[in-house]
Amino acid sequence: MKSSFRIRAVAFLASAAVLALTACSAGSSTSGGGSGSSPGGDQKLSVGLVAEPASLDFTTTDGAAIPQALLGNVYETLVKQDDSGKIVPSLAKSWTVSPDRKTYTFDLVDNAKFTNGKQFTANDAVFSINRVKTAWTISLKAAMDVVASAKALSPTQLQVTLAKPSNDWLFRMTTRIGAMFSESGVSALATDPVGTGPFKFSKWNRGDSIVMVRNDDYWGSKPFFQQITLKYFKDATALNNALLTGTINVIGTVQAPEALSQFTSNDKYQVIEGTTNGEVLLSFNNSRPVFKDLRTRQAIRMAIDHKALLDTCWAGRGKLIGSMVPPTDPWYEDLTGVAPYDLAKAKSLLQASGAAGKTLRLRLPTLPYATSCGQVVKSMLEQAGLKVQIDQLEFPAAWLTTVFKNADYDMSIIAHVEPRDLGAVFNAKYYTRYDDPTLQGYLAAADSGDEAAQVDNMKKAARRLSEQAAGDWLFLLPNLIVADKNIKGLPTNAITENFDLSKLAR
Amino acid sequence: MKRLNPSLIVGGAIVAVIVLMALVSFVWTPYDATLVTPTSRLLKPSWSHWFGTDKFGRDVLSQIMVGSRTTLFVGVVAVGVAAVIGVPLGILAAMVRRWPGEAIMRANDLLLAFPALLLAIMFGAVFGASTLTAMIAIGIASVPSFARVIRSGALQVMRTEYVLAARAAGRRPVPIAVRHVLPNVTSLITVQASVSFAIAVLAEAALSFLGYGTPPPTPSWGRMLQESQEFLFSAPRLAIFPGIAIAIAVLGFNLLGDGLRDRFDPKLEDRP
Repeated sequence: MKSSFRIRAVAFLASAAVLALTACSAGSSTSGGGSGSSPGGDQKLSVGLVAEPASLDFTTTDGAAIPQALLGNVYETLVKQDDSGKIVPSLAKSWTVSPDRKTYTFDLVDNAKFTNGKQFTANDAVFSINRVKTAWTISLKAAMDVVASAKALSPTQLQVTLAKPSNDWLFRMTTRIGAMFSESGVSALATDPVGTGPFKFSKWNRGDSIVMVRNDDYWGSKPFFQQITLKYFKDATALNNALLTGTINVIGTVQAPEALSQFTSNDKYQVIEGTTNGEVLLSFNNSRPVFKDLRTRQAIRMAIDHKALLDTCWAGRGKLIGSMVPPTDPWYEDLTGVAPYDLAKAKSLLQASGAAGKTLRLRLPTLPYATSCGQVVKSMLEQAGLKVQIDQLEFPAAWLTTVFKNADYDMSIIAHVEPRDLGAVFNAKYYTRYDDPTLQGYLAAADSGDEAAQVDNMKKAARRLSEQAAGDWLFLLPNLIVADKNIKGLPTNAITENFDLSKLAR
Repeated sequence: MKRLNPSLIVGGAIVAVIVLMALVSFVWTPYDATLVTPTSRLLKPSWSHWFGTDKFGRDVLSQIMVGSRTTLFVGVVAVGVAAVIGVPLGILAAMVRRWPGEAIMRANDLLLAFPALLLAIMFGAVFGASTLTAMIAIGIASVPSFARVIRSGALQVMRTEYVLAARAAGRRPVPIAVRHVLPNVTSLITVQASVSFAIAVLAEAALSFLGYGTPPPTPSWGRMLQESQEFLFSAPRLAIFPGIAIAIAVLGFNLLGDGLRDRFDPKLEDRP
């Protein structure tokens, strides 16, 4: 028995030593590149990301991870956004708009080819636009409802007629809605995407990575890297460690901002900090009786000390916004003052509305920012007199089914990263179940009016959301990228749906 | 004179401290273990916060105290499930010879081949991650070890004269199992329970670390470890305190198991 005690004691000491060692050790190395005839030859790159796509088909599956990987890289759009948010040519060389703002005529490039060998023509554009209405199932497809007809005037000329003038439509054409498909390349979208982009889809190792190879027949300037692997990590620390050990070369979105100091203090790495479209929303299920009372919704907004929340759960990185508009949109206004932190007022509002003491179910996706901020939100709301029960739902599958599709929740936390998504997120059909005719009126006026009317009405819409407390905007996610020092072409701001891999070089 | 049994004493003392800590945490902790206090984030250990505070400004000592409840709850549920199913199965397999007894043991072997953590992750995916589902899964996975150990003990008891006499006197199997077999395998159950307890504690920590165990913000040592990952470089103490707590608890239950085994096994009594 003595010997067994000794063995246990030694084992204990050994495990303590291992614990101490794991706490202190970190390896780092860099991977070399190759050479070849193209700018980057046969060089390869690995980019680390979180939240792997649930499918490769963004026409029928929601989730930001699919366009992040495929749009602009495998699929292209007629027009795209540049880094400043301006709409610039892509597969369309130029376009004109009729005086009544209802007819768009696009001149298309004549040398683009799909990766299945077919030439890209105006017929493919007509097919793609019509297909959004007939075959797409995701809610974002509503952006194409305004199109009355699309026809090919010639193989390189496309004419799209809208039912009414729309400021939003051309912008939506820069998003996944505007992706161009080949008629013969849509049979297996979920596993085998076919586009005209600078990269060809090569392989998807489920649960691990998506591999893309350079499209050597690409019509535009060819990418530097011969192969790019998007590697998915569920764990934020594992993602950081992957860069430290040279498994990946770029962290696409840092998910453990507290650990950023290990990169800023190391001159092997570069850290890029910019802004995104990712509004981290504390969403309310507005169809639930408890949220019908404006006072309850306002109380929740006032009970949250947003500055303290940002400092606590995202290391103070990001921006407080107060509504569903990021600073890169033309109609941005600082609306953080609409519902300032006021615990006493929040308490009295909850008493007045009768919600004090009620239990709300906060169903969180298993994403680092949601888990982290959820605990802060719970603590702050409980100080105001609510009870909050946290459930964690596996992301994407369980969260998308329970919260997003079935709206079986009271509150949730998720970053909405789609650009200009105010109207898409706050309507009766979306999981927020927010039915507000006044808001819809502003949005309709913004869409059909001239540019000044658009900005004016979008401002009104954003203010309306904030004043009506349709949700609470915790903060705007920062664009935090860490990469090997020698990687060039990384975007400062992430304001589009896609991660543009074609500009990356070494 | 009986020798002192250090395993039993040290193990018992550690377990007693953990139980005491859990009991005290119901009435008193230095701070509210789940209260987020942004103004006191990441404080170093001091007189006001002995183990410092985490990134949410929560007191680490208070969390470890409340976390010990989770640890004990986990052990009790997992061992309870394993014992309630495993003990009757083991006795049944010993008493019912021929093919039904064999069938029970082969089914047992099948379950034994299934990794406990995998079973718990599967349960978490199907029924939702919670301490209870994880622990029921760990309990089910521990059934085979209980059944196997109890069966071997029960087989010995079945050969004793008093059982043979009871059978000759025409007592029915159930009274024999309850009156004669069960009391004589109690020591085996106790030893197996304390060892399984240690395994369950470790399994809960691992599952919470992976996000399949105790959901936030309920304090759990495993989740404290997980949340401390991003601070391994800047504030390693956040990992070290719950890490040490887990190591000590597992050591305590293992030592207690060893000590009890030595105590109950007469053959080991005079071993140096």
